Amino acid sequence: SRNEIEPGKSGFAHFFEHMMFRGTETYPRERYNALLKELGADHNAFTTDDYTAYHILAPASGLETIMTLESDRFMNLKYPVEDFKKEAGAVLGEYNKNASNPFQTLSEKLRDAAFAVHTYKHSTIGFLQDVQDMPNQYDYSRQFFDRFYRPENCTLLVVGDVDAKKLAGLAQKYYGSWKHGSYKAGVPAEPPQQEEKRVAVAWPNPTQPYVYLGYHGPAFSDTEVDLPALDLVSQLLFSEAAPLYQKLVVDEQEVDVLFGGAPDHVDPYLFEIAARVKKPERVAYVESAITAALDDLKQTPIAADRLDSVKSHLKYSYAMGLDTAGSVARSLAHYLAVAGDSDAVNRLYAVYDRITPDDLRGVARKYFVTSGRTVVILSHKPTAESTGATAGGGAGAAAGTGS
Amino acid sequence: MSRRQAARVIAKAIPACMLAALLGVTPAAPAGAARPKENQPMKSTSKPVVGETLRTSLLPVPSSPLVAFRIQYRSGSINDPPGKEGLNALTAMIIGQGGTKELTYREVTDRLYPMAATIGAQADREVTTFIGSVHRDHLKPYYELLSGVLLRPRFDESDFKRSRDDLIAGIETNLRGNDDESLGKAALNLMMYDRHPYKQLDTGTVQGLRSITLDDVKAHYRRYYTRGNVVLAVSGGYPDALIESLKKDFASLPAGAPPLLKLPKPRSLQATEVLFVEKAAPATAISIGCPIGVTRSDRDFYALMVANSYLGEHRTFNGRLMNKLRGERGLNYGDYSYIESFIQDGGSNFPLPNTPRRQQFFSIWIRPVAHSNALFALRQAVRELKMLVDVGLSPQDFEASRKFVLNYSRLWTQNLSRRLGYQMDSEFYGTGFLIDRIQEELPRLKVEDVNAAVKRHLQAANLAVAIVTENAAGMRDALLSGRPTPITYQTPTTDEALLKEDKEIESFPLPVNRERMRIVKAQDLFEK
Repeated sequence: SRNEIEPGKSGFAHFFEHMMFRGTETYPRERYNALLKELGADHNAFTTDDYTAYHILAPASGLETIMTLESDRFMNLKYPVEDFKKEAGAVLGEYNKNASNPFQTLSEKLRDAAFAVHTYKHSTIGFLQDVQDMPNQYDYSRQFFDRFYRPENCTLLVVGDVDAKKLAGLAQKYYGSWKHGSYKAGVPAEPPQQEEKRVAVAWPNPTQPYVYLGYHGPAFSDTEVDLPALDLVSQLLFSEAAPLYQKLVVDEQEVDVLFGGAPDHVDPYLFEIAARVKKPERVAYVESAITAALDDLKQTPIAADRLDSVKSHLKYSYAMGLDTAGSVARSLAHYLAVAGDSDAVNRLYAVYDRITPDDLRGVARKYFVTSGRTVVILSHKPTAESTGATAGGGAGAAAGTGS
Repeated sequence: MSRRQAARVIAKAIPACMLAALLGVTPAAPAGAARPKENQPMKSTSKPVVGETLRTSLLPVPSSPLVAFRIQYRSGSINDPPGKEGLNALTAMIIGQGGTKELTYREVTDRLYPMAATIGAQADREVTTFIGSVHRDHLKPYYELLSGVLLRPRFDESDFKRSRDDLIAGIETNLRGNDDESLGKAALNLMMYDRHPYKQLDTGTVQGLRSITLDDVKAHYRRYYTRGNVVLAVSGGYPDALIESLKKDFASLPAGAPPLLKLPKPRSLQATEVLFVEKAAPATAISIGCPIGVTRSDRDFYALMVANSYLGEHRTFNGRLMNKLRGERGLNYGDYSYIESFIQDGGSNFPLPNTPRRQQFFSIWIRPVAHSNALFALRQAVRELKMLVDVGLSPQDFEASRKFVLNYSRLWTQNLSRRLGYQMDSEFYGTGFLIDRIQEELPRLKVEDVNAAVKRHLQAANLAVAIVTENAAGMRDALLSGRPTPITYQTPTTDEALLKEDKEIESFPLPVNRERMRIVKAQDLFEK
């Protein structure tokens, strides 16, 4: 969805992901579905800010069938206007099914405020008004296909009982005729944020308040230390073993949901922090406790054994997750998308190994700055915006501890 | 986002968007089991005796570097005492997210953290399962922590308060206000199991939870966490010594098991019973269902699997509901059907293992639809169900669905932890390993068998319907009037066949049970 640079056209990468299931002349929708059904395949797709992934899990004997089907729809997708309009209904339905969950709103509001020009400003599903207008955009959808569904934009990843040489032969056979495109359009770079932004969101149903913060951060890198160091920060502050987590969730019990981290992105994104505060009157305190912990990172070096513990956690966590063909594929696809190379994961873990306490202080000072921060407070009452914690580190803003 | 593994929480207490799947390792050769006699009812629990052998369920995979644990107690929400609904779930949560006699929760967490291992507590209607996986590099210390929290739980007052608050928030905030789809399913459950132990949420009620004390939790633990009431399940690359330790350590549990709660028959539904749940909602969420007399223990279950896959296989385009409501009409994001309790396992399409029941229900899940199309969607779904019952599957649809289930079911146990869970569930139901049983049963079937099973167990005349929506009174009046409820397309269609079918759908008769029709506010549900 970062590639959606034209106004009024947000959400098209995701919408197009839906359209990819609408068939071709050779394999209309019903026939496509029937062939995968025969294999007992588990198949679906998803779209992110940076890439769209189509995934199929099926018996290895089905590889050639899958290559036939997938190459055909990637090259020859064809759908009538009527189908296009129906699918717009399904996309709106997807928006609606997520809309009862405050996280959809929180994320939309944070990104919209935090980004002035970069296309991360809109969420992957798109601005609601663009989603509602989708039935009218048939011609644009054909242009979208023509621009982006080209071999230079595509990686085919196969994980499992597969022979590389055989796969190369099949790829040449089924994808060899796929023509390159010519579309090139840059994504506007986001200028540095100059001052803190704050947004209050009224939620129509009774809810505990949510605090959702975003600090501008770096793009994914497997060579520069910044994003990997922020991954460690995520663990140091927001894992269950983290002092901040233990303080806010376990000891003081001010918060019942707490997480934070910088998801990998192709362009500079945000370090996002979310907290659900148990009592509305404690929102300011929680926000200040979080900013105090971030400030502390800037000053106090992390002890070596804690750092080792985080590195161990990351390694085992990742390795233990590689337990099915699907989970391996998902992870490698992610690194292919953000780094162009699946070996990025090995380089990334090598960077993790090298990170020192000084590196952590360095990234904390660089990124956890008030001027680069956006804060969204969602609550049942629209006037429940956090007060008193707007300037500086906020360390002294809240009084006392305890519930 | 933090890359930490799934939290040590009850799966349903936390919104799905905040969970990551708990992952295991590659499957091994199946554990064999004798094939049960036809239509054999659930095996009863054997009488407990002092010094009885602890029950284990083992799945060794010597080549695997991981070990997966599932320690299950025959205790669920059906065992919550009246007035203390939520006691089982709360007890499980305090244990799974608590300390041991020697270590605080924080200390346990600190020790687990570098292993990237967790202890999850999954509390369901009939069983409660503690789930975790660890790399064999850390097997010994992990096992010490796991056995510690289970055998010597700390029952700290602060952990109690935190866990109770979490469960209450799970109802007050998450369920009532932030998750319309789960709300619809929970409301459906209330209707189907009125005056039945399955009625309440696994996490109880708000007042039930508020009335529970730490002493209640300790008493529940003493009563249900006993030697005769536990199954110790392990899979992966574990040494024999681990099993010896498990047996030795869990022998310290009190002997015996409390008697299994008998379940009454669920009440009979009368016509279409509708419960409107009113709240501010961007779209209308609908759940439809009725209890059925079939579980995995019964032969007809396998025939119904084929029919159910045809009607509404979860999150696939194989289902008729998905194709008719979403595919042809763009009504919503998805429409699926089920012949047993189904809770999605994280971001996968497959169900969580270890949610077995002695009684099951059929359901249809209609994902949020524009308010103006809600009654059309409801009519369409019930009409499809009626057609399935009256007409059945064609031979071609039968062959295609059967082949699909035969192949797709092989994907349900891809990692060690899931395979272990399925093995345990197979033992609960007495089926032999389910995936193998499917491979045995389905090839035997003919289309007539499937259609006969559908007629025996499914029907469209007496259903419970839960509707989560904004303008409940308007929708109720429209339904009661019996007037046609046409679809409003986002953009008009010219498809003649579709338009013709729309006319039938909008007038599809739904004889509504006026006496039982109710509107409740979401805020008032699950209070007590």
